[in-house]
Amino acid sequence: MTDRILEICALDGTSGDESAVREYIKSHINADDVTTDNLGNLLVFKKGRKTPKNRIMFAAHMDEVGFMVTDITEDGFLRFGAVGGVDPRVVLGRALRFGNGTPGVVGTKAVHQQSADERRKAPDFPDMLIDIGASSRDEAEKLVKRGDCAVFDSDAFVFGDGFIKSKAIDDRAGCLIMMDMINGDPEYDAWYAFTVQEEIGTRGAKAAAFTVAPDIAVVLETTTACDIAGSSGDKRVCELGKGCVVSFMDRATIYDRGLYQLARETADKLGIPNQTKTLIAGGNDSGAIHVSRGGVRTCALSVPTRYLHSPSCVAKLSDIEATAKLATAVLSAFAEL
Amino acid sequence: MDIKNTLRLLTGAVGVSGAEKSAADTALELLKKYAPDAGTDSSGNVTALIRSGDPGAKTLMLDAHIDQIGFIVTYIDNDGFLKIGSCGGPDMKIMLAQSVTVHGSQDIRGVVSTLPPHVSPDHTKVAEVGELSVDIGMTREQAEKIVSPGDRVTVNSEFRELSGMISAPSVDDRSGICAILAALDMMDLTKLRYNLAVCFSAQEETGERGVKGAAFRLQPDEAIAVDVSFGRTPDSAPHETAEMGSGVMIGVSAALDRGMSENLRKLAEARNIPHTMEVMPSTTGTNADSIAVSRGGVKCCTLSIPIRYMHTPIETVKLSDIENTARLIAAYAGGADND
Repeated sequence: MTDRILEICALDGTSGDESAVREYIKSHINADDVTTDNLGNLLVFKKGRKTPKNRIMFAAHMDEVGFMVTDITEDGFLRFGAVGGVDPRVVLGRALRFGNGTPGVVGTKAVHQQSADERRKAPDFPDMLIDIGASSRDEAEKLVKRGDCAVFDSDAFVFGDGFIKSKAIDDRAGCLIMMDMINGDPEYDAWYAFTVQEEIGTRGAKAAAFTVAPDIAVVLETTTACDIAGSSGDKRVCELGKGCVVSFMDRATIYDRGLYQLARETADKLGIPNQTKTLIAGGNDSGAIHVSRGGVRTCALSVPTRYLHSPSCVAKLSDIEATAKLATAVLSAFAEL
Repeated sequence: MDIKNTLRLLTGAVGVSGAEKSAADTALELLKKYAPDAGTDSSGNVTALIRSGDPGAKTLMLDAHIDQIGFIVTYIDNDGFLKIGSCGGPDMKIMLAQSVTVHGSQDIRGVVSTLPPHVSPDHTKVAEVGELSVDIGMTREQAEKIVSPGDRVTVNSEFRELSGMISAPSVDDRSGICAILAALDMMDLTKLRYNLAVCFSAQEETGERGVKGAAFRLQPDEAIAVDVSFGRTPDSAPHETAEMGSGVMIGVSAALDRGMSENLRKLAEARNIPHTMEVMPSTTGTNADSIAVSRGGVKCCTLSIPIRYMHTPIETVKLSDIENTARLIAAYAGGADND
């Protein structure tokens, strides 16, 4: 599990540019029907040992937050914007990497040359440039074009008591869980949507939900955990090591109450660690899916993750395993509804 | 000597101020090729004396600092998160969610943690070092087996080859060390104008402390402090920065010896070594400030290598600027007979 999660997180897949992730998934699954739709969603059908009464769709997004070059300056620096919601404070002082392997770094003038006000003010995207070492626009254009995407070029590792650190755990963790379900002799037939463009407004999931037309959807995601120093009570939101997060509400979806309760009961019955979120925040593909066509009963199962949308997402392997177990268990539980 | 490979080796080693051993050992090994008697003193400075054949020769100190900025563990909290202080003056803007290594009884990895937007009062403000914690994925009991207050913390980064430049951690001042080693490589060490007192000094970033003892002990007549300075970025003032690739920056300052600055400038012109003049009206903020007032006084000048993004993990340098700095050091230290 550890090597595979770090491998899939290392793939480049800025929203709208997910092909490397899609090809990886396609080449690592054994399914009955695999289609890439017009937006790039990978729609997979896998027959189980039984056919459920309801049409069930699992969904996880392939894309990650990243960056796009908007302009190249005369002196060879790249202006850029964020693709998806990235806190500019996690971009400054980092290395980025383009699809063709070109590395770049993001910096400003030296701290010594900043005024006291400049030192205290967090950076914003218009203040930052990518430096690929080029000394002119011509030199830069040999390596990078306007519209090219870059991702965080950061290390990935296992640390502490079973934790992992990488970019893009959001939502390659969900992708990997679905791949294992597809390859794992599922009890019931199901659809698996590996979606695109979640990070720029759950766009891929809209088309995927229309095409698959499920009765019930289960979104496999990561969700913000704030169980860190200086945070207590409900402000911790959810905690690493306490298992799969089953959500009752976020800013995009009020989840189906029956599915929420059944998911948590199923987890409890099987001894799968589970928790819920103590803050109504965030959103995921459920927001698009649950209002698709005539409405879809929707449930979200998430891996609690610290520092989302940064080069240093942190998750706990035991939580990914708990989420995988519960995903498999709810397929069977929801199939009987 | 291959400058790129030497810089890769030196920037791959760790040496936060006051805990320079790993970087110092790496530099010492490289220095021994030119000065077999080189060693490390009680302050952590790596020093060597390379004698000129001329018994009347004066002693020239070639100094670059081996330490790098970093952090130090001050406290382990009840949940196993580490509180830290800074060693030197890091750019605090770049710390959120950084990947770090804690140099405890073994090296362990972690991530810099701060409160996310929904619980932090103002996320347009840069967090001060006291507001940061390091997440090492351990309980307090687990952490205490490996980490103790006083252990150093460094931000993880890699040696990256950009288009015509190198981006790496601790280019400040491993590129200065690299320039001195390259200069030693360029010279015929049997025909020196000066006795060379080489010093790769500790604790520059925390107030030029290491070099004080070394300068006292080595008793130079003159000294060149080889450090990094500000390379041009689009948001910087042109008169405060040098273009990347414009060569060695020769210091001119009230705290430096005017004659040395002028001699270095003339020498650079005579040898066609690309250079610019770096004017620092009062003091220089380098080891030259401390060396100059050692014992009865030492004539000092600075030679600086322009870098971008100083005091971040992505410090960026052009190898030709290191090489031209080395050429000027060699031209000055070697003297006319050393071509």
